[in-house]
Amino acid sequence: MTHEEIHQKLNGVFRQVFDAPGLVVGDATTAKDVEGWDSLAHVNLIVAVEKSFGVRFTTKEVKALANVGDIVRLIEKRAK
Amino acid sequence: MSFLSLSFVLFALVALAVFQLAPPRFRPLVLLFASLAFYATHGLGNALLLLCVTFAVHRAALGLERRETESGKLRLVGVVVASLVVALAGFKLASALTASPGAGAEGEGMALRVLVPLGLSYYLFKLIGYLLDVYWEKVPAQRSIVSVALYASFFPQIVSGPIERAGAFFEQLGRLDELDPASVAAGLRRILFGLFKKIAIADRLAVLVDAVHSHPSAYSSLELLLGAYLFALQLYADFSGVTDIAIGLGQLFGVKGPENFDLPFFARNLPEYWRRWHMSLTSWLADYLFTPLRMALRDLGQLGLALAILVNMVAIGVWHGAAWTYAAFGLLHGILMVASALTLKRRDAFFRERPALSRLRGFTAPLVTFHLVVLGLVVFRASSLTLAVEYLARFAEGARGGIAPTRLSFPLLHITPGALLGILVLAALMEFGNWAMRRPAWSQGFLAAPRVYRWALYYGIILVTLAVGHLGEQTFIYAQF
Repeated sequence: MTHEEIHQKLNGVFRQVFDAPGLVVGDATTAKDVEGWDSLAHVNLIVAVEKSFGVRFTTKEVKALANVGDIVRLIEKRAK
Repeated sequence: MSFLSLSFVLFALVALAVFQLAPPRFRPLVLLFASLAFYATHGLGNALLLLCVTFAVHRAALGLERRETESGKLRLVGVVVASLVVALAGFKLASALTASPGAGAEGEGMALRVLVPLGLSYYLFKLIGYLLDVYWEKVPAQRSIVSVALYASFFPQIVSGPIERAGAFFEQLGRLDELDPASVAAGLRRILFGLFKKIAIADRLAVLVDAVHSHPSAYSSLELLLGAYLFALQLYADFSGVTDIAIGLGQLFGVKGPENFDLPFFARNLPEYWRRWHMSLTSWLADYLFTPLRMALRDLGQLGLALAILVNMVAIGVWHGAAWTYAAFGLLHGILMVASALTLKRRDAFFRERPALSRLRGFTAPLVTFHLVVLGLVVFRASSLTLAVEYLARFAEGARGGIAPTRLSFPLLHITPGALLGILVLAALMEFGNWAMRRPAWSQGFLAAPRVYRWALYYGIILVTLAVGHLGEQTFIYAQF
């Protein structure tokens, strides 16, 4: 899966989790930029990403995430 | 030594003078010495305990960086964090068990009275957060024990928070050589605002709230309702007041603590309320308790979410002390939060299709949320669950017992209508101040205004505070937790 493909698929996950059909996220997008991305929604998002990409993250990895780019890199690392 | 005592003012002035005169590289040491001296006035034993815990956490953080295997790191961090949590819970439980019911805060009538060391809940949470941050590799372990000890003991924050994060604290500690006179002035303004909230509003309401809560059955439904509203206001003024003083004091010494409040009574739902009330505690719990727990329970789906929320909210409750009222307060909020979290999507979808109702929701949602908060605070404030139940039952049963439910007796409430109205006006001004402070355009506009206006406002606040406040050695509600 290329970086672009991951991005596209990830964007779909975001739209579904945050119930926002028009949402577009980039590498630099952080929780502050997305309405509803709070600590309650954060793990919901992670679970949806895990399911959709067939990967599993540790709490330590999830704690290190600062923006969408970090999530993409983590998926890439896992998919290898 | 309370922030409101003359001895504290003298202490802070001396500390500030020495801090300003000291060469920048000695400033952390000066601050540490001042913080330990301040803390030692609350008991040498407490100060010793703080130093021992700090030393243990400092060594553990360095040990984490040396350990090579992931399992070794997890074991170390697990053992230390568990010990600190057990120590905190142990102190709170022992304090609750040795307090004789009916006796005053002094606990007379009991030979042995365990007191929770002042600030224990605040500095233990800071140190646990620091250790977990090192474990999660968000913050490097500090080489110098001075930094860690100062982080734990920093005197503006040790009594009532705010719970600053290790990364933010150490970063500011590294810039103590670039002291900005503007931030000292900002600190003084903040302290003045905090004193106004505490003395002119919170302490004036305390008399009324204490009366209503000590004998709920002597009051009518309307009086109990007023008491419940006014306790919410008292707690807000008291706690945001002490937070202002703590943040302002910190600014005098080059370290600005995190904000604790963001107009919480305007929140549109309970999850949002908890992101705007005691923010430094709730965001701490979200990071170090809720998220790891939610991750661990994620295979349970919605049940995992519900469990994680319940545990988190009960933790918020019992953080205040080992009392059934705090546990019930946490549980009540937990249940309401679970209901809110599980239905939010459906509610949003419902209102999206009904624009007219949606506009109404913009007005009713904060109102409903506020009333749920007030209900929770009745339980929180009550001295026992029995009194909490009595308060709510009395409010609900209204006319029974010979008191008209709508009676409003100001003498029984220990306040005059004029004084109450005055306090409410001051509270509205306070909230306007809170609102304006968070808007850069307003704060900059104020600072750019001619000096005469600014000083008129400062003197106005000082005069009002002196005129309406009871002066004396008052303590802050959140210093007991």
